Amino acid sequence: MVGKPESSNGTAKSGSNQTGSSPPSALPLNLKSDLFSSLSFKTLKLKTKQQELLLRVSILCLIYILAFITRLFSVLRYESMIHEFDPYFNYRTTLFLTQKGFYEFWNWFDSESWYPLGRIIGGTLYPGLMVTAAIIYWVLRFLRFAVHIREVCVLTAPFFASNTTLVAYFFGKEIWDSGAGLVAAALIAICPGYISRSVAGSYDNEGVAIFALLFTFYLFVKAVNTGSLAWALASAFGYFYMVSAWGGYVFIINLIPLYVLVLLITGRYSMRLYVAYNCMYVLGMLLAMQIRFVGFQHVQSGEHMAAMGVFFLIQVFYFLDWVRYLLSDTKLFQAFLRITVTTAVGVGAIALGVGTASGYISPWTGRFYSLLDPTYAKDHIPIIASVSEHQPTAWSSFMFDFHILLFLFPAGLYFCFKRLSDATIFIVMYGLTSMYFAGVMVRLILVATPAVCLISAIAVSATIKNLTQLVRTKSKVPQSGSSKGSGSSKGSSKATVDQSQPFQRNGAIALLLGAFYLLSKYATHCTWVTSEAYSSPSIVLAARGAHGNRVIFDDYREAYFWLRQNTPPDAKVMSWWDYGYQITAMGNRTVIVDNNTWNNTHIATVGRAMSSYEHEAIEIMRSLDVDYVLVVFGGVTGYSSDDINKFLWMVRIGGGVFPVIKEPDYLVNGEYRVDKGAAPKMLNCLMYKLCYYRFGELTTEYGKPPGYDRARGVEIGNKDIKLEYLEEAFTTSNWIVRIYKVKPPNNRW
Amino acid sequence: MSKLVHLLGFVTLNVFLLPFLCKSFSPETPTDRRVLVLLDDLAIQSSHSLFFKSLQSRGFDLDFKLAYDPKISLQRYGQYLYDALILFSPTIEGFGGSIDQAAILDFVDSGHDLIIGADANASDLIREIATECGVDFDEDSNALVIDHTSYAVSDTEGDHTLIASDDFINSNVILGSKKIEAPVLFQGIGHTINPTSSLVLKVLSASPSAYSANPKSKLSSPPSLTGSAISLVSIVQARNNARVLISGSLSIFSNRFFRSGVQKAGSAIKHEKSGNEQFLTELSKWVFHERGHLKAVNVRHHKVGEADEPAVYRINDDLEYSIDIYEWSGTSWEPYVADDVQLQFYMMSPYVLKTLSTDQKGHYFTSFKVPDVYGVFQFKVEYNRLGYTSLSLSKQIPVRPFRHNEYERFIPAAYPYYGAAFSMMAGFFVFTAIYLYNK
Amino acid sequence: MARSTSKDAQALFQSLRSAYAATPTNLKIIDLYVVFAVLTAAIQIVYMAIVGSFPFNSFLSGVLSCIGTAVLAVCLRIQVNKDNKEFKDLPPERAFADFVLCNLVLHLVIMNFLG
Repeated sequence: MVGKPESSNGTAKSGSNQTGSSPPSALPLNLKSDLFSSLSFKTLKLKTKQQELLLRVSILCLIYILAFITRLFSVLRYESMIHEFDPYFNYRTTLFLTQKGFYEFWNWFDSESWYPLGRIIGGTLYPGLMVTAAIIYWVLRFLRFAVHIREVCVLTAPFFASNTTLVAYFFGKEIWDSGAGLVAAALIAICPGYISRSVAGSYDNEGVAIFALLFTFYLFVKAVNTGSLAWALASAFGYFYMVSAWGGYVFIINLIPLYVLVLLITGRYSMRLYVAYNCMYVLGMLLAMQIRFVGFQHVQSGEHMAAMGVFFLIQVFYFLDWVRYLLSDTKLFQAFLRITVTTAVGVGAIALGVGTASGYISPWTGRFYSLLDPTYAKDHIPIIASVSEHQPTAWSSFMFDFHILLFLFPAGLYFCFKRLSDATIFIVMYGLTSMYFAGVMVRLILVATPAVCLISAIAVSATIKNLTQLVRTKSKVPQSGSSKGSGSSKGSSKATVDQSQPFQRNGAIALLLGAFYLLSKYATHCTWVTSEAYSSPSIVLAARGAHGNRVIFDDYREAYFWLRQNTPPDAKVMSWWDYGYQITAMGNRTVIVDNNTWNNTHIATVGRAMSSYEHEAIEIMRSLDVDYVLVVFGGVTGYSSDDINKFLWMVRIGGGVFPVIKEPDYLVNGEYRVDKGAAPKMLNCLMYKLCYYRFGELTTEYGKPPGYDRARGVEIGNKDIKLEYLEEAFTTSNWIVRIYKVKPPNNRW
Repeated sequence: MSKLVHLLGFVTLNVFLLPFLCKSFSPETPTDRRVLVLLDDLAIQSSHSLFFKSLQSRGFDLDFKLAYDPKISLQRYGQYLYDALILFSPTIEGFGGSIDQAAILDFVDSGHDLIIGADANASDLIREIATECGVDFDEDSNALVIDHTSYAVSDTEGDHTLIASDDFINSNVILGSKKIEAPVLFQGIGHTINPTSSLVLKVLSASPSAYSANPKSKLSSPPSLTGSAISLVSIVQARNNARVLISGSLSIFSNRFFRSGVQKAGSAIKHEKSGNEQFLTELSKWVFHERGHLKAVNVRHHKVGEADEPAVYRINDDLEYSIDIYEWSGTSWEPYVADDVQLQFYMMSPYVLKTLSTDQKGHYFTSFKVPDVYGVFQFKVEYNRLGYTSLSLSKQIPVRPFRHNEYERFIPAAYPYYGAAFSMMAGFFVFTAIYLYNK
Repeated sequence: MARSTSKDAQALFQSLRSAYAATPTNLKIIDLYVVFAVLTAAIQIVYMAIVGSFPFNSFLSGVLSCIGTAVLAVCLRIQVNKDNKEFKDLPPERAFADFVLCNLVLHLVIMNFLG
């Protein structure tokens, strides 16, 4: 579109508006400069608005691609495979879904895990992730791309991370302005707190759930800002997607009522709030109850009661508002209505009390209660306490995952408080509550990341905008006036302004450069963190050899493949619950317990078997029809996440259900040892024997005696191990995974 | 034409070979045929000829070899040459050829039967083999079983090591249906059953007054084996249904004992013929699987009304289970009739326990309703009767819960809710109509 | 005291009735619709209290369809009411279209949940 001279748009927006645009005639002109100038915005003759749009779109495209690419380290370094433990279960279910169809998936009863209890997978998982990946797979297949479902699974999380950046942009635009949106998108694209759970290969619920979370919040804020039923319906659907994707939806269903409550209390409520919250709550609740795993929790569980309470409260509130409006003003009715309010609140409280006391409204489950009382899990539910991701966060983790955002966050809060609106109140509440939870549990840094990025983006955007305005307006004044002192009537003030102007302008430029330096440092840090810390598949281990070359340990897959090929199809494998999903997905064998950890007694039975002497353990194994036992041992390679280091948790969990297992039996003066000074029960329990069988003959390190455990750094205490009821079936090449076969009972005895 | 001749020749060759093929051991005909008899003295072959003849008359191929013969072996190129082993070599210190203790135990562990005859001078090797089977001979190598109240009356005043015992195990399967009237003459060493072993049984026990000691020397300390804990003849039925007979006396098999009369001290009855022949013949029938050998075939389960076996059941399904049990009569499979065969529907504990009904022709069946619990269940038939082979069958089958469309629908108690929901829909339509066209 | 409260109640009712009579007809239609929905919900809750909540999903879907209908109708009333300053830019057709859409979704989900 050929533009008129555009200096009429006086604001210092993008592009310098030099009106002297070089005419594009000129054959004798240098072609290079012609090309170059034709590429510049001036000769494209775009309006400022269009220039701005082009800039924004191109920046967003770059951020989108960046978010995807930065998560691909492990695919490039190793191969396209699924990482960790939980994603293997998700992969297996997605595979089942694509092979058998949705109805079979919805009704799937799996007899291959939690032998012999089985598991109703269709009713105990959050199907959002699997259905999403399956839909992407079917769409690609429809378009005749012959992809394998594994590739789709591996790349689902980066794809949704890119989508999250888009949502962050729109959300930032809603809260502040489009500049803040762009900065938010850029920050969240590389923020390590989010990357940790959405790297390529990490096919876990959080990859999709953070997108759903931010999307729902954005839609809700949009609904509150516009008061439109359509946006509220969209946010209900967003909430439904979140419920189908992750158990953390409880955060949404508690934050939004809290937000509504805060608005009601501070008197900032409006009709739009009523429309938005009611439509979202009723429709969202209905949709959420369609997921089998969630069931009736929205009306029966204590964690969801806040939403219902606020729902009733908001009805009462607005009803009273309406009555007051109808009656115009009469003090009499105020008093009368106050009584109505107290009765309503009283009835509500009694209902809640009766419900909770009678047990109809179930109390907060252990998982979420431990967020309010962090010491609860350690005393009562050892399984929750044993997961390393559930430990409280250290400052180093915050710094590692957030870097400069950590001090930009309070700055952003300040800006939000300066310009309070419905949207900024929401983001402030989101930020504060999520930071509290991030402090309680390491895993929840993920939930805090979008809030921190958005608020920091507000700080960055507002600061930079102010600074660039300082820089730009100062450059205008010398043009209109003269910088060398003008002597007009405004001269004195201008003179003083002029004298401080260069100082301010230089200060602004310096601050700008400082800001850019910080942001570039942030980008470097994020890339480094992604590359070093968050891109390891954890099923394939890498180390540096003696010459600096990279050594890869692929023992896990070697063992699972051995299981798959060398054992009968109905063989049952007993191992600690960490490896259950991987054994079922890759080894294709029935397991006794797996990562779902829904049955504590079953896990405690396995823990008891591992901690008992061999002749006691064989009884337990026979009763469970166990054919093979799998243990992970890091003594040869120095791998420290092996079963001997996890052993005390087995003892605690087993002892939690069977008091015959006592933790002090395995410790010496409260210390956990495996060398000669270890407790006798420790030296003879099944786990010790299985891990260290034949290890006493092996020399692991130059200059150390045989049987030197490199992970613990000691020489083991019991080197002469004889197994009576088990025999060794397979040990991987680096001794990381060891598989034992349970011998059938003696023929003549 | 030449082809026909070839075919004919092939058929006749097979017909000739068929008897030889039939003689080998197979699960279809569990009675052993080829028996290796290891003796440490060839004279035993004639002094125990009655016993051997009774075996041969039943169709067994006895192969007599000296125990130290360097050419004997149980297997060649991985195939076993014999189906059963009789060790009448109590004094042997080491077998010849490729046989040793491990080979004999492997022989038993691969399903073959064994008869061990020990005696007063039993070697350590024989004692160790017996210990591996769950039977402990008296450690004192000079000890014999002495009984001063149940000895066999004889003309000479002996040292009461020749005892007459009629303390038999109470089982028709093992000892035959005909009651053994006369007591059994026994002279040899005694043994006890290892208490940790659950598979050993005492067939012939000593009387409560017996004890095991050296008859030639005075007792310096109380004897370690006394009373009815002493077993004279024991059997072991291994988990793979191999059967082992362990006897503390070799002369119990001898012609002399077979033919002699017996009178138990303290009893007035004098029997013309001892019970040895009947006892050992019947016992050898049991050891060589001519009696008490069961097989269970045709395990079938299906939903009521259907014919094929489903891969998975649903809770509250009705199903039927059937099984055929046969007993080997020595020559053919006869239907086994009993009324105590039980079926368990088992998942860590039996949820359903039913006694199978029978049609008296070896076919057992029952039907029941799958319990209201989902999981991986097993159809378990555990049949362990004294003297019979143990039937331990288990078939794994998953049981799934209801699918989402298998719950009951249109519940009468919920009609008001259905009505309310539909009335809301109707009200919505009416409302939109009125609202839109309202002036 | 009781007399004054009853007098107050009477006065309350009178002024409420007079103020309400001033509302436009279309709003009154919506109010009638809301009352119908809430009454149906109340009937169901009484029924559940008597009989028990056996097919709980049917009970929930019945009650939630009534409550959802009521709530959406109230939202429509808010958006269409000319006295609300915030919504004066919103064309009533748009409000009604949103309302119909939300109701469609509501009834579809109720049908799925009814059992």
